[in-house]
Amino acid sequence: MSYESPLREPLVKGGKTYADVTRDILRPLEKNASKSWWIAFSVSALVLAMWIAATTWTMLEGIGAWGLNKTVGWAFDITNFVFWVGIGHAGTLISAVLLLFRQKWRMSINRSAEAMTIFAVICAASFILSHMGRPWVAYWPIPLPNAFGTLWVNFNSPLVWDVFAISTYFSVSLVFWYIGLIPDIATVRDRAQGIRKFIYNFFSMGWNGSTRTWHRYEMISLILAGISTPLVLSVHSIVSMDFATSLVPGWHTTIFPPYFVAGAIFSGFGMVLTLLVVGRVVLKQEDYITMGHLDAMCRIVMLTGTMVGLAYITEFFVAAYSGVEYEQYAFINRASGPYWWAYWIMMSCNLLAPQVFWTKWARSTPWFIFLMSIIVNIGMWFERFVIIVTSLHRDFIPSSWTMYTPTYIEFAILVGSFGLFFTLYFLFTKYLPTINMAEVKSILPTHSHDEHNDNQAAVQSANVEKGDTVHG
Amino acid sequence: MASKMMLGVYDNPDRVYTVTETLVKSGYDVHDVYTPFAVHNLDRVLGVKRSRLSIAAFFFAMTGLLSAVALQVYASYYDWQVNVGGKPSLHIPTYIPITFELAILFTAFGMVGCFFFVNRMFFGRNTDVIDIRVTDDRFVIAVNLNTDTDVKSLEQVFVSGGALEVRERIKDI
Repeated sequence: MSYESPLREPLVKGGKTYADVTRDILRPLEKNASKSWWIAFSVSALVLAMWIAATTWTMLEGIGAWGLNKTVGWAFDITNFVFWVGIGHAGTLISAVLLLFRQKWRMSINRSAEAMTIFAVICAASFILSHMGRPWVAYWPIPLPNAFGTLWVNFNSPLVWDVFAISTYFSVSLVFWYIGLIPDIATVRDRAQGIRKFIYNFFSMGWNGSTRTWHRYEMISLILAGISTPLVLSVHSIVSMDFATSLVPGWHTTIFPPYFVAGAIFSGFGMVLTLLVVGRVVLKQEDYITMGHLDAMCRIVMLTGTMVGLAYITEFFVAAYSGVEYEQYAFINRASGPYWWAYWIMMSCNLLAPQVFWTKWARSTPWFIFLMSIIVNIGMWFERFVIIVTSLHRDFIPSSWTMYTPTYIEFAILVGSFGLFFTLYFLFTKYLPTINMAEVKSILPTHSHDEHNDNQAAVQSANVEKGDTVHG
Repeated sequence: MASKMMLGVYDNPDRVYTVTETLVKSGYDVHDVYTPFAVHNLDRVLGVKRSRLSIAAFFFAMTGLLSAVALQVYASYYDWQVNVGGKPSLHIPTYIPITFELAILFTAFGMVGCFFFVNRMFFGRNTDVIDIRVTDDRFVIAVNLNTDTDVKSLEQVFVSGGALEVRERIKDI
């Protein structure tokens, strides 16, 4: 059914049949958890415990447990929030934007990237809750008729927009992910026994694989992709407006929305690479997530990293050109003030480091890609730190200039949020298929089933020869 | 309602496509084709009408859009005006983000709800799976056996198209 180019590397290697795909991808679900899974899961659960302890301490003690002061009222909390929301952008980008562009390489990575999106947004939401200091009144930004007279929320405030944006993004991503999961959950159901069959049957919602169902399924996937694409762009634009609509020097710029969206895609792909470079080896999925996939993602990292770098330089130009003294000082202070080290970590990790992906070697060496993905994540965390803290700590009135130093509690919450993220991610790899089997099966060449596996190699090499004679 | 069907089991989407085309052209009552993934154009061969989900999506989007505008205008202008820095209370540009988000939220949930409804899908539904292998690697063509169906020649079409198995079964529809 699908044509396969004789020249290009196939998207799925190893001459897989449909049954091979099912067996390979369900292996982690159907056998007992490996020792390495237990170790990884236990470590993340321990880190999660630290997150719970530190967050609970903050709730009991109040925001005074953090290093905030009168001048710097937002620091680690909002840095972490923007960091996690940014990471949460790759999943929907891969599954929605690449679906609209008919990029078939997305099919092996979209499931885990979408899962990552959902878990990252959960982490981000936890920072919204904790930075309020009084999480029990977290429902106040929701426009509800309430007991304070008819006092509504301020619809002119970007913080209220953010509540709508993040909650829409989370719920639509979750629905999109779940719709994609249903056919695969049905596959697990039809192979399972006993209690597992009962559970997967419950969540498969009676999927039967009929052509009529598939027809509607394709339609709904396309429309969900169509509405998720502007959604993913709008969410980080709105997050950036939390800053851009204020008057604080360094925040008050019109470049913020596109710059934040590019940064979000950059950091999201960084995290996808971190997870998949390791995951493909541990889950034995090298035939599905091939070097070609890593190569394509490295190119996106390089492109978006360069876009972010361009934005950093444009900000300097705009500050210089504006003639506004405060704006100019904000940028001089970023690069050479007391937080200069944070600024230069950001510059080198986000603009300079990704340029190595111009070389083929960098894009085809897994350990190096892994290292780079960590560097990208560090750089993007520092970007948010630089934007937030350096703009606030020296604003209009020099008498209120001050420094911000995080406390142990804040570090514990930051590190702990990775525990929350990875605990959820490891549970996902154990209980749900990490690759969209139905989509991957649709891109397998049909001839591998005519000939069956033993003739597969011969067919492949015959194709390559044909290609060589035609094009050589 | 239970009905009697003849099933042809295949392992290749191309063959399923050709056989389905032949069956539909020769006038057999093809009930449905069950596949592990979406086989392109098979819906057209079967004569499945284009789903109206996209029309529903438009109406859900409009509902979301109008509700968002109504909520914001009512709350911030008619019900209780709040003076924040002297900014206007009825200020259309600041309503855009929430209007946009709610339009998308309503579209997504409304459409998914419709999708579940028309497919009769819900949590915990027990379905009568036509063949347990259709979610793995088999493709099943199900043809309704009516009183006037020529069973012999149907079997012939199935087998000559490369069926691995041909069998009868009763299915609840």
